[in-house]
Amino acid sequence: MHSDPIGVILAAGEGRRLEPLTNRRPKPMLPVGDKPLLEHVLTAAKEAGISEFVFVVGYERDRIQTHFGDGNQWNVSIQYAIQDKQLGTAHALEAASDLVDDRFVVLNGDRIIEPSIVSKVCETVTAGATTAAVAVTRLPDATSYGVVGLDGDRVTEIIEKPTESTSDIINAGVYAFDRSIFDAIDRIDSGVGGEYKLTDAINALADEQSVAAVRYDGWWLDVSYPWDLLSVTGRVLDRSTETTAPETNGYVARGAHIADSASIGQNTVVGRGSSIGQNVRIGPNATVERSVVFPDTTIGAGAVVKDCIVGANASIGANSTVPSGEATMIIDGELHEGVRFGGVVGDNATVGGAAVLAAGTVLGDGVSVGPGASVSGTVEDGVEIRRS
Amino acid sequence: MCGIVGYHGTETASPLLATGLQNLEYRGYDSAGIALVDSDLTVYKRSGEVESLLEVLPESSTQQRGIGHTRWSTHGPPTDENAHPHTDEDGRVAVVHNGIIENYEALRAELSDHTFTSDTDTEVVPHLIEEELESGATPREAVEAAVARLEGTFALVIAIAGVEELFAIRQDSPLVIGHGETGTFLGSDVTAFLEHTREVTYLDDGELAVISGAGVELYRDGESVEVTTEQLTWEADAAEKGGYEHYMRKEIHEQPRALRQTLSGRYDLDSGTVDVEIDLPREYLRSIEEIQIVACGTSNYAGRYAAELFESLADVRTTVEIASEYEFSGGRDPWRTLVVAVTQSGETADTLSAIRKAIRAGARTLAVTNTLGSTVTREVDDSVFIRAGPEIGVAATKTFASQVATLALLAVYVGRERGALSSNRARSVLQSLRSLPGAVQQVLDREDAVHEVATAYADSEAFFFIGRKYGRPVALEGALKLKEISYDHAEGFAAGELKHGPLALVTAETPVLAVLTDGSAATETLNNVKEVQARSAPVIGAVSGDVGESYLDVTWEVPDIGMFEPLVTNVYWQLFAYHVADEKGRSIDKPRNLAKSVTVE
Repeated sequence: MHSDPIGVILAAGEGRRLEPLTNRRPKPMLPVGDKPLLEHVLTAAKEAGISEFVFVVGYERDRIQTHFGDGNQWNVSIQYAIQDKQLGTAHALEAASDLVDDRFVVLNGDRIIEPSIVSKVCETVTAGATTAAVAVTRLPDATSYGVVGLDGDRVTEIIEKPTESTSDIINAGVYAFDRSIFDAIDRIDSGVGGEYKLTDAINALADEQSVAAVRYDGWWLDVSYPWDLLSVTGRVLDRSTETTAPETNGYVARGAHIADSASIGQNTVVGRGSSIGQNVRIGPNATVERSVVFPDTTIGAGAVVKDCIVGANASIGANSTVPSGEATMIIDGELHEGVRFGGVVGDNATVGGAAVLAAGTVLGDGVSVGPGASVSGTVEDGVEIRRS
Repeated sequence: MCGIVGYHGTETASPLLATGLQNLEYRGYDSAGIALVDSDLTVYKRSGEVESLLEVLPESSTQQRGIGHTRWSTHGPPTDENAHPHTDEDGRVAVVHNGIIENYEALRAELSDHTFTSDTDTEVVPHLIEEELESGATPREAVEAAVARLEGTFALVIAIAGVEELFAIRQDSPLVIGHGETGTFLGSDVTAFLEHTREVTYLDDGELAVISGAGVELYRDGESVEVTTEQLTWEADAAEKGGYEHYMRKEIHEQPRALRQTLSGRYDLDSGTVDVEIDLPREYLRSIEEIQIVACGTSNYAGRYAAELFESLADVRTTVEIASEYEFSGGRDPWRTLVVAVTQSGETADTLSAIRKAIRAGARTLAVTNTLGSTVTREVDDSVFIRAGPEIGVAATKTFASQVATLALLAVYVGRERGALSSNRARSVLQSLRSLPGAVQQVLDREDAVHEVATAYADSEAFFFIGRKYGRPVALEGALKLKEISYDHAEGFAAGELKHGPLALVTAETPVLAVLTDGSAATETLNNVKEVQARSAPVIGAVSGDVGESYLDVTWEVPDIGMFEPLVTNVYWQLFAYHVADEKGRSIDKPRNLAKSVTVE
């Protein structure tokens, strides 16, 4: 009998809808409260008793490996399976095939969940009645996810992103399997865009044997769009009990996180739901509300930054304003209206003094905005904008 | 350098010793051995990798104590015979040793009736102990008497057949005891046993540890002394490769994080002040006439970078000495000289020897090191830690960056204390330092481009690195990195010196890598670029701003962060060296003939 199962975390994906933030890092490395999404997944699985992990990595994998190493910092062991081409979740899991035993858990590296669901799917397969278990949860708008057809506690079918939803029960992306899943993966064909989907393999499995559905109504935090990072950060920080803010001269609200190597100038206000990364410098008299600031970034004196994601090593000049408001966003060809969003400042972008970014502005990687300029909409990587 | 392990407890010793040796592999070695002890003593040893030692170890064994060693040749070639442990005539006394016994030839002559089977200096030790035992001494007396006759540097661990205790003693060579749940561990450094315990005792020079089933007793000059233990907080485990092909590449990528740790909480941008927690009075800092930096290899180049910084920010004459060449001389006033030792490991024998010369002369001393509890920190007046985290690759990478950043903080601190640096200028220096992690990350993000260029030029005849001002130590370091790991001929020059000689070496087959950033007098160096280009040499330039890209065959952009741009350039040089060496299939983490921490002079 094998002891605790191995945890396989799928972390090879790019996250194109989160550009430009995913230009230089994979989606699982986006920070939530100064820790990558993937670290939240890891610690939840660890609390559920898993101590051996396989991370399936691909896109920008150096970022993941540099952060996690061999896992000792978390008292777990991590091995890496490399998925060279991102050909879907089934293809990703297959990359881990040689590193897992007869029972294992599979998690998404970019969705925050609670330990309980990991324990539950584990127990379901180790109890021996079934060889596969899928966690399911309820979501009001299920159409962007995999909707799960159920027969009692059995999964009959998972339909990815159905045009019309027949149910509000979705696949939570937490699974437990035995090795029969690899046979199922061998049998499936690639779908649209040449992707081999894990859900297709589960459907193939469900045709011949029992696949258990494990109901879950805890946390299920997904970052699909850039503004989701703000709400997810807010929820995680609200629940967090740690108060780690270093000594500062400013005012730091409860439910804000300041990294220990960040520095906050005099009279600066950092509001609830904000997360300030390592080595960030915020000058005096600035206001940062409900924003996520990545490491190494500079925010100048008197700047006002609201509902905003500021990438790594960016610079926002003195007295610049990101006022926020209701924005209309087009992401990946989809229209989103009425989104409360200040905007995104890409990695290494610079915003000159007293510039204004209208609600929903997305500045690409390395964009340079001149002093006093007013910007709106989406600005491609590397573009220079001067006040005319 | 050589590594020592030992175990005495209730578990089977052999696998524990073998893992300990594997943990120490990173130090570089050419042979390895283990002695297992109960009423008998059995020695297994092989030249080459620990792997080949494992092949000769018995699959199962019962002994619950033993000692082990990885050797890096100093006396005699790497052969099975020269591998440690060494034994006496009857094979009852086994010894592992780090360091050098200087009077071994004389001792060997005295032991003329003994048969020696190796070329090593170490082998005299078991024979000396044997003589003492035969004359009726107790095991502890025998060890003490034998050690009293040794001159030189050593860490020794001794096992004797039928004797319950293991003995450990050191003189100028590190040795540490780990107190585990199932027994006591010994190591030349803590990585030997970190997975078993973090409760450790560092042996002091001249202390003899007697390790039995009941625990550890310490003696100095025959008198019992108290055992003090400390708890390691070190995340030693960061010392694993975590999916990277080589530690070196992992450590190159760790630089942004290492630099953030180096800088964290040590400066205040609003006031332009620095606090590196050193205890040198302001009056003293104001009175100093000279700072002497002593260091070897990469640390020496970090020292050269720092010397420029001390001169310009702290207005104090600063000299950099290669530690093995150092003498305190030339009519300096020791009271007005601060000697700064820069050493990653804190165990570098040449640097320790230099700092001892400075202490004897009466100068104040300071260590800049990565290793808490290392020998250097216990000898100097005060220490500043670079906080880079463990570095395993023999070729230093992240510790160079963190050394320069730490020394820069120190230069600002001394400059402010001496009244030589305005708060305005200090703020701009600190701002440039704070920009380092983000700038280094941008270079790492361009690794693919560096990889391509490295592949294209890997088969060149030689490589020359040039730079001025802060670019000069970076040119020297870039060349050192490349020669260390690729075994190619590489040299670094002050750019202006090319035309005074080295230009004769430049051909179409010798790429020239030039530092052309802020802080490196780029406009002047561009003239030297033109000189080499006229000789058809391909030129790879690290550039910030608009400096003459048209003269370059390859341009690598350095983010605009001011005076520390040459330090960012060094990351390009590191990646270039790594990919050239990787292209050639070199042993990147353990280059031939080199060791991480050089504990012999």
